[in-house]
Amino acid sequence: MSNENVRPVKKHYLQTKEGRRNVINCVVAVLIAIFFLFPIYWLIQMSFKTDMESFGKIVTYYPHEFTIDPWLQNLQDADFLTSLRNSVLIAFCAMLISLLFGVPAAYGMGRYQVKGTKSFMLTFLVTQMLPASVMLTPMYLTFTKLHLLGTYWAPAIAVASGSVPFIVVTLRPYFKSIPVSLDEAARIDGCGVFRSFFKIMIPTIKTGIITVVVISFLNGWNDLIYSMTFNVDADMRPLTANIRKFQSKYGTKWNCIMAYGAILVIPVILAFIFLQKYIVGGLTAGAVKE
Amino acid sequence: MKLSIAAKKKREAYIFILPGFLYLLIVCGYPLIYNVVLSFKNMNVKNMATGTSVFVGLENYKTLFADPTFQMVFKNTIIFTLACLAIQFTIGFMFAMFFSKKFTLAGPVRGLILVGYMMPMSVTALLGKNLFLLDGGVINDLLMKLHLVSQPVDWLVSGGTALAAVIAVNCWVGIPFNMLLLTSGLTGISDDIYESASIDGANRFQRFLYITLPLMKPAMLSVLMLGFIYTFKAFDLMYIMTSGGPYNSTDVLGTYAYSKAFTQYEFSQGSAIAMVLFVCLFLVGLFYLKLLSKEDD
Repeated sequence: MSNENVRPVKKHYLQTKEGRRNVINCVVAVLIAIFFLFPIYWLIQMSFKTDMESFGKIVTYYPHEFTIDPWLQNLQDADFLTSLRNSVLIAFCAMLISLLFGVPAAYGMGRYQVKGTKSFMLTFLVTQMLPASVMLTPMYLTFTKLHLLGTYWAPAIAVASGSVPFIVVTLRPYFKSIPVSLDEAARIDGCGVFRSFFKIMIPTIKTGIITVVVISFLNGWNDLIYSMTFNVDADMRPLTANIRKFQSKYGTKWNCIMAYGAILVIPVILAFIFLQKYIVGGLTAGAVKE
Repeated sequence: MKLSIAAKKKREAYIFILPGFLYLLIVCGYPLIYNVVLSFKNMNVKNMATGTSVFVGLENYKTLFADPTFQMVFKNTIIFTLACLAIQFTIGFMFAMFFSKKFTLAGPVRGLILVGYMMPMSVTALLGKNLFLLDGGVINDLLMKLHLVSQPVDWLVSGGTALAAVIAVNCWVGIPFNMLLLTSGLTGISDDIYESASIDGANRFQRFLYITLPLMKPAMLSVLMLGFIYTFKAFDLMYIMTSGGPYNSTDVLGTYAYSKAFTQYEFSQGSAIAMVLFVCLFLVGLFYLKLLSKEDD
C-alpha cells in the first residue's frame, strides 16, 4: 500500500503540540485570573445587594435581588461627597507638587553629567525607603507651627515626598534615551533650554510622562496615613481616611461599605483600562532599578 | 559675565536638579533628623503646647525594649514580613516563569492581576475584613463547602488566625508585584542561551538551575529587598482590617508607632518606635543600594 495518494490531512489546531500547549496555558492563566480577580468581583457584586442579602448568614455569590441603593446612599450623602471632593483635591495637589519637582530633576539627572549625580540618585533612592511613621510626628509638629494642619497641602506635601523619587527613578532612563542630536538641533534653531524642555523633551517621552502623572495622582488618592494624621477634621479628610467613620455609620450594612470601596477603586480601574501598558512598563522600570 | 559652555551646562543641570533635591532634603531629611531628636526627648501632648519637653537620653528606648507589647509587636512584624516574603516571592516567581511563556493570554492576564496591586490598600483591607467574616464571610463559606473545616473559623478574633489572614491579604497584593518585577528580569534572558543549553543536552530542571537562577540573581535579590522594605513598613492593611487586634496580635511597628504618637499622644515614644523601624529598613536598604550601584557600573 502506498500513501502517496492519501491527501495530507490538515491537523486540527488541538491536535498540534503547540495548539494543545497554548490551550492548557490559557486555561491555567484564566484560573489564576479568577483567583486574583475574585476579591474585586466580590467587592462589586456586594455593592449591588440589598441590606438583607449582604448581611445574611447565607452567602450568595451574586446579587439575587439587584439594587443600586448602596451606591445611591453613598452618592446622596453630603459627608460622602465632601470626602470625595477632598480625595480628588488632595490627589491633584500631590500630583502637582510631585511633577513640579520630580520631572525637572529626572531631566537634569538624565541629560547632564554633573558631579554628585550619584549622591543625588542615592538621596532619591533612600527617601523612597523612608517609612511614613518616621516622618509623621515631625511633620505633624512642623505643620502645626506652619498652620498647614487641616489643609489639603499638608497630606499633599507628604505624599509627594514619596512620588518625587519615584518620578526621578522612572523618568531618568526615558530622558537618557533621547538622542543628544535632538537637543542640539533645538539649540541651533534658537530654542532655549527651558523651551526645549517643554516643547521637545516632554512630548518625546509622552509615555513616561503619562505613567508618572497617573501614578503620582493615585499615590495621593490612595493615601491613608498622612491625610488621617494631618487632617483631624472629618470634613477635610479624603475617602480613605474616612473609611472607619463610614464603617461605624453603616454598621453591618456591608453592601454600603462595599459600594464606598468600589467608588474608591474606580480611578484605579479606569487607569488600568486605558493606560495599562504604560503603567505596567513604568512600574517595572521604576521599581527594579534606575 | 560670560560663562564657558561647561559652566553654563553645569548651571543648567543644577537649575533642574536642585529644586527636587532640596524638596526631599526639607520634606524627608529634616523630619528624619527631627525624629531622631524627638526620640531622645519626652515630648507628649501636654508639654508640646507649653514647650517644656526636655532631653531624657535613652529613656524612651529603655522603656521600649522592656515593654512586652513592643517585643510582641516586633515579633509580629518579623513574622509578617518573612511569611509574606516567602509566599509572595515563591509564587510570584512561579507566575513570572509561567507568564514569560508565549501563549495567547499571557499578556492580558498578567496585566489584569496587577489591579490588586494598584488598589488603595485601605480598600483591600476593608475587603479582607469582609472576606474573613465569621458569618457571611465567603472564605468560611468556601471552606465549609469543601469540607475543609467543620465549623466557620472566627479568623479575625483569635490571634494566630488574624495574623494569618492579614498575611494572606498582603500576599494577594504582593504576588502580582513580585511577578511583575521578576518577569522583567526573565524576559531579559535571551532565548539563545536556553537553546544552546538544550542542544548541549541540558534538561528543563538543569536549565532552570544553571541558567535561570544565576542570571536572575540580581533581579531576585533586588525584588526580595524591595519586598522587605515595603512589607516591613506596613500600616494601612492592619489599621483598617484589624486595628492591630485582637490584643496587639496584628500590631506591627508601623501601627504601634502610630498609636503611641497619635492615640496616646506620646510623641517621643512613637518616634523611638519609628526609629527602630527605620534602622531595620536602612540596614536592608544599604544592601539594596550597594546592589544597584554594582549593576550601574
